[in-house]
Amino acid sequence: MQTAMLAFRNLSRQKRRSFLLGGAIAFGIMIVTLIDGFAGAFVDNVSENFSNLLAGHVFVEGVEKSPKGRDLEIIRDDAALREAAEAAGIEAKYVSRRSGLQGSLKFAGRTATLAVQGVDFEAETFLAERLALASGSLDDLPRDGIVLPEPIADKLGVEIGDRLLVTTRTYSGQQNVGEFAVAAVIKDPGILGSVSAYAGRDYVNELLDLAPDEYQALSFYLPSLKGMDEAGDRLHAEVSSRLQAFERKAPGAEGGNPVLAMMRGEDEETWTGVKYRVTTLNDALAQVQQIVDVLDVASLVILLVLFLIIMVGITNTFRIIMYERIREIGTMRAVGMQRGQVRGLFLYEALFLALGGAVAGLAVASLVMLGVGLIDFGLDSPLFLILRNGHMSFRLDWARVAGKVAIVAFLTLAAAFFPARSAAKLDPAVALRTAV
Amino acid sequence: MSIIELSEVRKTYPLGKTEVQAVKGVSFRIERGDFISIAGPSGSGKTTILNMIGLVDRPSGGEVLIEGKPTSKLGDRELTTLRHETLGFIFQSFNLIPVLNVRENVEFPLLLGAKRQPRKEAAEWVDFLIEEVGLSDWKGHRSNELSGGQRQRVAIARALVTKPKIVLADEPTANLDSATGEQIIELMKKINRDLETTFIFSTHDAKIVDIADHVVRLRDGLVTENFRRERAGAEA
Ligand SMILES: Nc1ncnc2c1ncn2[C@@H]1O[C@H](COP(=O)(O)OP(=O)(O)O)[C@@H](O)[C@H]1O
Ligand SMILES: [Mg+2]
Repeated sequence: MQTAMLAFRNLSRQKRRSFLLGGAIAFGIMIVTLIDGFAGAFVDNVSENFSNLLAGHVFVEGVEKSPKGRDLEIIRDDAALREAAEAAGIEAKYVSRRSGLQGSLKFAGRTATLAVQGVDFEAETFLAERLALASGSLDDLPRDGIVLPEPIADKLGVEIGDRLLVTTRTYSGQQNVGEFAVAAVIKDPGILGSVSAYAGRDYVNELLDLAPDEYQALSFYLPSLKGMDEAGDRLHAEVSSRLQAFERKAPGAEGGNPVLAMMRGEDEETWTGVKYRVTTLNDALAQVQQIVDVLDVASLVILLVLFLIIMVGITNTFRIIMYERIREIGTMRAVGMQRGQVRGLFLYEALFLALGGAVAGLAVASLVMLGVGLIDFGLDSPLFLILRNGHMSFRLDWARVAGKVAIVAFLTLAAAFFPARSAAKLDPAVALRTAV
Repeated sequence: MSIIELSEVRKTYPLGKTEVQAVKGVSFRIERGDFISIAGPSGSGKTTILNMIGLVDRPSGGEVLIEGKPTSKLGDRELTTLRHETLGFIFQSFNLIPVLNVRENVEFPLLLGAKRQPRKEAAEWVDFLIEEVGLSDWKGHRSNELSGGQRQRVAIARALVTKPKIVLADEPTANLDSATGEQIIELMKKINRDLETTFIFSTHDAKIVDIADHVVRLRDGLVTENFRRERAGAEA
């Protein structure tokens, strides 16, 4: 207790030096905290938006080869798929059958590009529960009704009932034009959700040049994230035994996203009729997780590299401190301080330095995150994938922060350990007679 | 039994390829309650001898006995504990801890040991000592706000706080003007009488040697004189 108090006060003896060392520690902590905060929000945002957007965990998409060799997304008849799902024992909470178009919406000279999901609102009752309405209603949706995310509605300056022009392509790639009536506006569901709107599948199919009972993606929303890959494997086995299906790719097998790897494979293949692709949300997010893993490793490496440099400073400083206070050490030893207590005095000082630096670093990082979070990058920013509502967002895992602070405290103590040990080993007579 | 006994104590320091014989076989005894001056010119071995009595340095030969107990075979931990419990130190340049105020400096040694006194008792004792050395109005001040004489008074109170049997003072007046120096020695003398603490101080100042009742005079690492003064009124 006494040693701790003395160590704390000793920090204030050379304020400039303490501020420099503490500042270096704070800087290191700040950098890694920013990276961690960014990485944390990155997973959050991307997962949230993907699950919103894709409405499920296990997906089946149908692919046809056009005469020109293009891959066309279509499911013409899903009776065999439903049979396969049953045989595979897929217990989905919800099943959705969706089409989707990529379109450019125009209103009063303003344009917004976004994906429009064609949804069977009567079958997907859960969607109505999940979408938070800002205005309008999902009941009595007109055939050409569209549900827009709030940022897009704001950007276009539309209100409920306004009619929009949409320019798009059919499923086979022909230019097509249509009109939507704004039926509802939903609160911003996150990064990717904010560039995705919902409309009736019948009308979307019409724009895509699909028949009313055709669609593009069958998704199963499982009760939990667990077992998603196994469910995908079982479904794939059952689909393969009944229909044409692409090989499933394991995440990271070809050093990348398994979904993209499957699509690349399809480009080189030729087949006739519809061939099915079975994927999972984990497959789609494989690369997101890889990016996060890279960020995690990067933050640790940066921390270690920065601290290797900082540790040299700490070791040298504590060596200097030992010589500056050598007579004081001799005095304390003479009046009864044990070697261990001298070492403790130095280590406490280092610990306080580390903790003080860590607190300052976390405070500065918080301010930076708050400040950066205020900047509006806009929804059409090229950074949109990592943004939330056009803003950078951060999320800190406190256990991870505590872990980093512990590492920093440990490294600081390690750096101070050898000077502390030298100080403890000083012969009191030598220490007392050394003039500084 | 003498409180301290030096028996054929020698100390050599390595100096380049040769060595210096700082103390060349010194024997004398110090009795309980002594107010003893180790006198001698600069370089005669005073500091070396005080350091060995104070258990901060080890003799190269011979034995230092504290209360009849030999100390040459003790390890660092035991020596430190013995210093803490039996000895008090006063230094030529005061050696106060700059980040502590007067009261905290005096209290400091109390907080080092394994044994703890009851808080209230300890606080009263610290206050009593500060009163004794005349610094009651300076308790909250740090050493850089004090004069040399005041600093040495703090050091005296600190040396006494663990109620040691022996207080060692290596040239306690060397950094003070002569009037202040004499006051410091008088204060030590008063405490020596009041608390019956044994005081051992070194000096090369003849006027201060006169205040001691036991004098050991050194020259070139050897004892040249060892005598007791019988004073009027010091009897009984
Ligand atoms: N660490 C040391 N290394 C070498 N010689 C020393 C050392 N300390 C003291 N001496 C020598 O020992 C002798 C006695 O020194 P010291 O005990 O300091 O005398 P005093 O305190 O009486 O001035 C002197 O000649 C001094 O030069
Ligand atoms: Mg000396």
